[in-house]
This record gives sequence, C-alpha cells and structure tokens, in this order.
Amino acid sequence: MTAPVIHAADLVKRFGSTTALDGLDLTVEPGEVHGFLGPNGAGKSTTMRILLGMLRADGGTVELFGADPWADAVTLHRRLAYVPGDVELWPNLTGGEAIDLFARLRGSLDRRRRDELVERFGLDPTKKARTYSKGNRQKVALISALASPVDLLLLDEPTAGLDPLMEVVFQDCIREARAAGTTVLLSSHILAQVEVLADRISIIREGRVVETGSLRDLRHMSRTTIVADTVGDPAHLAQLPGVHDLRTEEGHVHLEVDGDRVQPVLRELADVGVRSLVAHPPTLEQLLMRHYGDDLPARDRAEQDELEVR
Amino acid sequence: MTTAVARHTPTRAGSGSLTGTGTLVRFMLRRDRFRLPAWVAGMGLFVVYVGVALPEVAPTEEALATTVPIFNQPVGRMFTGPGLGLDAPTYERFFAAGYVLYLFLVAALMSIMLVARHTRAEEQSGRAELVRANVVGRHAGLTATLVVSLVANVAAAVVVAGLALANGFATTGSLLVGAATGLVGMTFAGVTAVTAQLSEYSRSAAGLAGAVLGVAFVLRALGDMVRVGGSALSWVSPLGWAGQTGPYVLDRWWPLLLLVGLLALTVALAFWLQSRRDLGAGLLAARPGRAEARPWLGTPLGLAARLQRSSGLAWGVAIVALGIVDGLFTQALVDSAADLPDLLREMFGGETMRDGYLTFLAVLVGYVTSAYVVFAVQTLRTEEARGRAEAVLATPTSRTAWAGSHLAVVAAWAVLIMVAAGLLTGLAAAAVTGDGALVGATLLAHLNLIPAVLVVVGLCALLFGWAPVLLAPVAWALVGVMVLVGNFGTLLDLPRWLVDLSPLSHPAQVPVEDLDVAPLVVLLVLAAVGVALGILGLGRRQVLGRS
Repeated sequence: MTAPVIHAADLVKRFGSTTALDGLDLTVEPGEVHGFLGPNGAGKSTTMRILLGMLRADGGTVELFGADPWADAVTLHRRLAYVPGDVELWPNLTGGEAIDLFARLRGSLDRRRRDELVERFGLDPTKKARTYSKGNRQKVALISALASPVDLLLLDEPTAGLDPLMEVVFQDCIREARAAGTTVLLSSHILAQVEVLADRISIIREGRVVETGSLRDLRHMSRTTIVADTVGDPAHLAQLPGVHDLRTEEGHVHLEVDGDRVQPVLRELADVGVRSLVAHPPTLEQLLMRHYGDDLPARDRAEQDELEVR
Repeated sequence: MTTAVARHTPTRAGSGSLTGTGTLVRFMLRRDRFRLPAWVAGMGLFVVYVGVALPEVAPTEEALATTVPIFNQPVGRMFTGPGLGLDAPTYERFFAAGYVLYLFLVAALMSIMLVARHTRAEEQSGRAELVRANVVGRHAGLTATLVVSLVANVAAAVVVAGLALANGFATTGSLLVGAATGLVGMTFAGVTAVTAQLSEYSRSAAGLAGAVLGVAFVLRALGDMVRVGGSALSWVSPLGWAGQTGPYVLDRWWPLLLLVGLLALTVALAFWLQSRRDLGAGLLAARPGRAEARPWLGTPLGLAARLQRSSGLAWGVAIVALGIVDGLFTQALVDSAADLPDLLREMFGGETMRDGYLTFLAVLVGYVTSAYVVFAVQTLRTEEARGRAEAVLATPTSRTAWAGSHLAVVAAWAVLIMVAAGLLTGLAAAAVTGDGALVGATLLAHLNLIPAVLVVVGLCALLFGWAPVLLAPVAWALVGVMVLVGNFGTLLDLPRWLVDLSPLSHPAQVPVEDLDVAPLVVLLVLAAVGVALGILGLGRRQVLGRS
C-alpha cells in the first residue's frame, strides 16, 4: 500500500488559552478527494495552516508526503497548491497578473490550461484586483491553483462567494483533477459540495476529528428520513425499535429510522396504508447535527425567544 | 387609521433627494470624531508654534529683519507666498509671509481626504448602496459630506483666527487668515466633490483633487517668484487668491470672493454630475490592465520590486525635490550669512556656512530616507496581516526569499534615493553658487550617510523577524531621534547618548570634515547583522494569520 499524502496524529495547537486543535487525527490517501467538514471555528483553517508550515504544531505528529511541513515547507510547496477561503490580492495588480505570479512562484504555468480556466470561470483578467468581488478573487486563486500541475490541492472553503453556475464549473475541475491523480483536501461547510465530490470525509469539531470514512460508511451509521401520507393512524410506529422523532404534521407522518431498521418500519407502514412516501438518506447536514447535537437545545431556545418576541 | 398601517405609509417628509441628510451628517461626524479634531488641532498647534518660535529665534523685531532674506528672495517666495510686507517685518507679517500658505495646504488636504472618504470610498466599497437602500435621498450623501466639510473648515477657521489673536497678532489680519484657511479648505472640498464624480475609485478621486492642488501650488509659486507681491500668474490659482488677501499688510477681503465663487461653481457641478450617473459608476472609464503578468513578475524579487515600486517612486521624487529646493537656497543662505541670527547660523555649521549647510542637507535627506525605509518595511507587516504573505509562502517561496526580496528592494530604493538626491542637490547648489566643485562634495556627503540609512533597514528587519508588533513603534521612534538629533543636536545641547543613538551621527561630517571609512564599515556590518538576524527570527516564528 502507498503511503498517505497527509498523515496527522494527535495534533495539538493552542493559541494562548484557547485550544484550536485538540488531538486531531487525519489521514488522506493518494488520489482521493477528502472532504474536511466542520462548522466555523472547528479548526479546519488551523489544520490547513499547519499543513502549509505557517504554524508549528504544539503536539502530535504531522507529515505531508512523508516529510515535516514546518521544516521542509519550501520543498513540499513545489508539490501543492493552496486556495484560502478568503483570498486577498494586491489591489493594484490585475487578476491575470496574480494568476501568473502564483503559478510561476509554484514553478510552472500551463498557459493553455490557464486560458481555458479563465474562460470557463468567466473571469476578466484585465481588471485590477481592487475592483473584484469576493467571488472573483476566489476565482483568481482557484484558476491559478488548478493551472499548476501539482500532486496535492489544499482547498480551504474554496468556493465561498461563487455563484451556483461557477460551483458547477468548480466541481467539474475537481473531478478532472482527481481523474489526473491529484489528491485533494477540500474543507467546506457547503455540504452538497462535499457530498458530490468527496471519496471520504472527516468531520471535525472543536479541534478533533469525530468521524471519518466514506459517505456510505457514515450513512450506514445514521438514519433514514421517511415522510409518508398514510391512510390509518401511524402513531404506534413510534414504539418500533430504531424509530426516532416521529411526529405528524397536516396528515403527513415524519420519522427517522436507524439505517439497519428500515425494513420492519416499511412493512408496518404498508400495513397502515400509504398514499405517498418519500424516503431519503441522511444529508450531511443531518450527519453533522448528530455530532453537534448538543448545540441544538441552545438553538431551539433562541428560536423560541424569537417567536415570543413576535 | 391604526398605527400598523401608518407605519407602512411613506410620509411626504421622507421623499426628497436630501432625505436623511441630517442623520448622515451625525453619522459622519461620529466616524470622524477623532480624525477631524486632530487635523484642526494640528493647524492650531502650528499657529501657536510659530507664535512661540519666532520670538525665540529672533528676540526682537529688528533681529527678525535679518532673517527676511530667507523668505524674501525668489526661491523663498516660491515656497511661502508673495512675500508681502517684509520691507517692514513684524512677527505677524512674518507669520503671514512665511507660514500661512501651509495652513491653506493642510486645510485643503484635510478637505480632499474628508470628501473622498465619505463619497467615493463609500461607493467603491458598496457601503453607500447599503445606506441608499434606506430612506435616504440621492443627494443626501454628498450634501452631508459637504456639511461635514463646512463644520470642519469653520472649526479650522475659528481655531486659526483665535490662536493668531492669542499670539497677539492684529485683529483684521488674524480673522482674514482664519477665513482664508477655511475657504481654501471648502474650495478643495468642492473640487473633490467633482473629482469624486469622475472616477470609480476613491484613490483616483483624491489623487485628481491632489493634482489640482499641486497645479494651484505651482502656478502660485511661479507667479510669486516673478516679483514681490505676486504677478498675474498668482491670480489664476486659488492658493494665490488666499495669499493675495495680504493679512496684516493689505488686509483685503475681496479676493476671498473668488474662492466663494469657485466653491459655488464646483458644488453645483458636482450635484449636476451626480444626478446624471448611476450609483457606483464613474464618468472616467476604468482602464483595463494587463491580462497576463510580464515575465519578471514571477519571482519573489520581481513581486517585491513591483509592490515597492509606487511608494519608492513617490518618496524618491519627493525627497529629491526637497533636496533640489534646498540646494537652490544655498546662495541665498550664503548671502544672508552675515546677517543671520546666531541660532540659525549655528544650526548650519558656524563659520563654514556653505559646507555646514550642505552637511545638514545630507543629514536631512538621510533621515527622510530612513522614514521611507521604515514606511516601506512595514509593507511586510501589511502583507502578513492581510494574508497575502501566506499565499506567497504557500508556494515554494522560502521566508528568506520573501522577506529578503522586500528588504533588498527597500535598501536599493534607499541607496538610489540618496544618490539621486545627492547628485541633484549638488547640481542645484552648484548652479546657484556657480561653484562646480559642490556637485562632488554634496554627492559625497550623501554617499557618506548611506551605511547609516542601511542600519535602519537592519533594525527594521530585526524587529520584523523577532518582534513584529514592535516594528512600527521602535522604528518610528528611531526616526524621531534621527530628526531631533539632525536638526537640533548642536542647537539644544542634547545628551551624548541620544546623539549617539542616531546612526547619522557617526559618519564624518562631510564636506566640513574629511571622509572617514572606519565608521562606515562598522555601520555596514551592523546593517548586515540586523538583516541576517531578522531573517533568522522570521524562519523561527509562525506566520501570523489574518485579524
């Protein structure tokens, strides 16, 4: 088996009294698109910055292509391209100049690929960066990264500010990169994007990876949501093992069922009599909710307050 | 009718193009609550300083007469005004002839920045759109900006006039100086209101208005140079009109009417242009830049050269211009040497007045160039704080290459500025004195100080590498020491350690003394050690993220 591209074990990073990373484990295999999911402040960007050698870890081990990202930063950077979530450019350089600059600093620029990407992302490279919207600055960094032939793409929420059309272009580009054998670490909180692109995902929360695996593995561990319009009263379904959160709204029954308990529930539903039925696998949103479940009561309370104000 | 309905019914009072002006005025005053008082206080301090310093330099008004040649001859008039009333100088006339022009300039700069900040900068950032989406009229923003300019300039006028009176200067003249200051400020607020309509960018808007101010200054300078009291050319410049009021001498108010007229014209033009364009749009089209980077923009050095280019050029031109102007003063200084007050003569080197003056000029260019160095090295801090350094360092660019490139470019600019200033100051001095040998002597005086300026590069590198938060305070403090020691080292009898703190104190005083290589070598070694240690520190510390 080939060595992982990224391997972090028990990584710790503190900023003063706050602990940004608290024993983070992360393994990214060659050639995979690895989704790195978590809410703001979970430690995604800190991890990225340690992988780039900008920050030094306070504990644990981290290897990039088998080398130390702090000590061997320059050598490692020949093999990767990085796109931050909030790209800052030099106000008086044009987008085209910034694209070329980054690619040349990386060592090589595929001119044809660069022009093709400029075209696909619909960027005007002659405008000064100070006139660019956030989305356009993001495009500059993406085009530059994608136009460089590298082994690893470190993308930290790369499509923040892009419109849905460009999101599609971005997804195509990532698929092309993977087809070419590039490894991608894609941090995001746009769940749909990770869902479509990632081979495996790691969910990070409060500086630790709480779950890692392929989407299929994680789904297995989670629940299917069923919404049905029934003839009879389905209230007794709540008694079945593995059924959660059953409620009835305007004649529709909503329930969640554990992945391995779907069959008996469907059988019982059929007995009650079904007029229409929708079942869907858990979205990443729901996967995340499971791990940030303790945030929910607080949110519910906030919503309650809001209602009372009205 | 219930209140719930009334809440959603637009009232007549809220439908004009000026709706919301009052709220915006309060909002702008709140945003500028420190900035504007600082500008006004600066002008007030200047008036007080002149009032205190003049009797200090020349204890009697007879003694004052001996310094008149500094402002009285053509080059002096270029930089001060028409030179009215200097045949019978008093402190107040000296104030009007030598210094009020700078009050006008400061008021104009305050107004240019104020208007650009509240009009085009707001539109460029998109904040104006947020504001205008509320119940705010089309012209409310510009109107509120002009009201705030009026508040600031009236405050400036009152403070300047009041403190001039407090200096014991005559009433009419003092009121006239205050009024002229405020009106020049307002006129340039009007000019900026127009330029803000033209360009999409606030920097271009302020730059265009600044160019108008520059042209006004040059026209007045040439006009006033021609003869005492000014010539026709003085009368085509708004700064000339303000000077032609002749405070404490002619005491005439009517030239201010010209300023009022120009103000009315520019304000009307600004509103007319604004009602003719879309929010965010400019009347001058934005020029497209290059779609591809030039070949040299692809290395850390190329990037640093590009990023440092405009500030290096701007500082360089300004410093060299300063040198040339000072060089042109050489003959006037020599001519008036015998009559100068002792204090001033001491400042320029006692007996060998001319050489002492040239030594002083080199020190002056040295500390201003050091200020450029500190300013330019701070780019590294900005790059790091804005996350752009991280983007560059995420490529195979080492920290040494990144910071080293910037430091090398800054050092190269500093050397270039010193050489160019030395050469051109020397040429200017040689031209006015007719002594060709001054070119070489002046150039050598400047070259002699280059190692001292490079020590500042070393110190900045050291601070940036090990204690980046201390870069600005410590480096600027050193520049402050260099200015203090350079200007007043002999005059104020400063303690030895303070004088020694300034790197500029250590080279020999060329051309008064002969060139001494030993201190230069020491300074160069110090500079190199500073840079090396700084880069070592940068490699060991973490790259600071944004915010």
